[in-house]
Amino acid sequence: MYGELGYKLVVHAKRTQALNQLPPYQTDIVHAVTREVRDLHGDIDEITKSYDGDFNPSEDPARACALLVHHLCIRRNKRCLLAYHRVRAEKIEQMCWNGMDVAEQAQAARVTEGDDDVAGTSSHALSPEEDEYARQYGDMLAAYKGQWTDIDLTGSLEPPKDLFIDVRVLKDAGEIQTEYGAITLSKNSQFFVRQGDVERLIKQGFLQKLS
Amino acid sequence: MEDIDDILREFDSQNAPSNAKDYDDLLKWWINERAAPEILQCQEDLVERIMTRVRRQIEQIEDQTGNLDPRANFQLIIVQTELERVKFLIRSYLRTRISKIDKHALHILSTPSIRHLLSPSEQTYLRTHQALLNELYLSSFLKNFPDNLKRLDDSAGGLSMVEEPDLEGAVFLRVVRDVNVAIAWENGETLDMRAGDVYVIRYSAVQEAVKRGDVELI
Repeated sequence: MYGELGYKLVVHAKRTQALNQLPPYQTDIVHAVTREVRDLHGDIDEITKSYDGDFNPSEDPARACALLVHHLCIRRNKRCLLAYHRVRAEKIEQMCWNGMDVAEQAQAARVTEGDDDVAGTSSHALSPEEDEYARQYGDMLAAYKGQWTDIDLTGSLEPPKDLFIDVRVLKDAGEIQTEYGAITLSKNSQFFVRQGDVERLIKQGFLQKLS
Repeated sequence: MEDIDDILREFDSQNAPSNAKDYDDLLKWWINERAAPEILQCQEDLVERIMTRVRRQIEQIEDQTGNLDPRANFQLIIVQTELERVKFLIRSYLRTRISKIDKHALHILSTPSIRHLLSPSEQTYLRTHQALLNELYLSSFLKNFPDNLKRLDDSAGGLSMVEEPDLEGAVFLRVVRDVNVAIAWENGETLDMRAGDVYVIRYSAVQEAVKRGDVELI
C-alpha cells in the first residue's frame, strides 16, 4: 500500500530517539521505499506522456487525481526517508561528541537486538554509508576540537561545582597520571580525585561519580 | 554626586577590556546565546582574550603544583576552581553555537548576513558537516531518486525544507540602557524601556537591542 513502508521507517526513527543504542539499519525497508518512489515516478511519466503535453485536469479528473496522489506519495516517502536518516545521523553525531567508539556501540547493539529479533542477527547496525559518515564526522569533530585543546569541548556540560570528587571504579582502568602523581584504578576501589582528570573515564563508564 | 558617578561610569567603560569586564561579558553573551532563538555574533576577540589568560593560568598552576606550603596550595585550589568554571563557560558557549549551527544549517548557509556571524572555524564546521550529510543522504537513497526530487532545500507543496529559527518566540530580558523599541503589532507604536526593567517580549521586537547590548536576555 502507498506509504505504508514510509510510515514504518518513521516509527523506527521515533523508537531510535528513545534508545541509547542505534538499532540495526533497515536496509530492506529503505530499498523498498526508494523503489516505490521510482515506480511512482515511472507511472507519473507514463500518464503525462500519454497526453503528449496538453493535459487538461478538468477534462479528466480521475487522472488528475491519480497524478496528485502519486506526487504527494513521492514527497511523503522522501520526507520519511530523510527523517529516518537524519535521526540516525544525529545519534551518530551524539556518540561522536560523547567520545564513544561508534563501531563498538554498533556491535553491542547488534548483540542485544539479536536476542529478541532473530531476523536482525545478520543485519548490521550501521549501513556502510553511515559507517563512512561516522568516521568522517569523527575526523571533522577532532579537527574542530583541536583548536580548543585547553577547553576540551567534549567535556561535561554540567556546571562544575567541586574541583575534587569521589569516584568508584567500576572496571579496571589501569594507571592514570595526575598532577598529584599516578593512581592505579583497580575495580571496586574508591578515590578522591580532580574531576578534570577523570571526566573521560566517567563518560566511558570506567568510573562512577559518587554524590 | 551624580556627576562623579557619571564620570566614574564613563571611566569604567573606557577602561575595558579588564579581566573582570571580560568575564562579565562572557557570562552575558553566554546567557544571550543560550536564550536567543537565532545565532548571534561570535565573540571571537573576547574568547581569544580569555583563552590567553586561561593558558597563562594553566602554566601557573603547573609551575606551582608540588609546592607543599598549605597556603599556596589553598590558593591553587581556588584558582583551579575558577579555571574550571571559565572553561565550562567557554565550552558551553561554543557548544550552544554548534547546536544552533547544526539546527539551522541550511538557513545559515543560504543567508550571507547570518553566515558572517560565525567564526572561520565554525564556518568550516558548518560546510563540512553539510557536505557529509548530503553525501550520506545521497549515497543512502537520494541517488535513486528522480532528478527533480534530489534537492534538500525545496519549498514545493507549501512546506519549506529549510528550518529557520522562530524569532517570534518570547524571551525574558533585563534592560541595560534606556531604549525605545518598536512593537510590531501596533501601528508604529513604540515602547519605552527603562534601565533595570525586566520584560517578557517577542524576540523579534528586541532583536536589534540585544545585538547592540542595550538589553540582556535572562
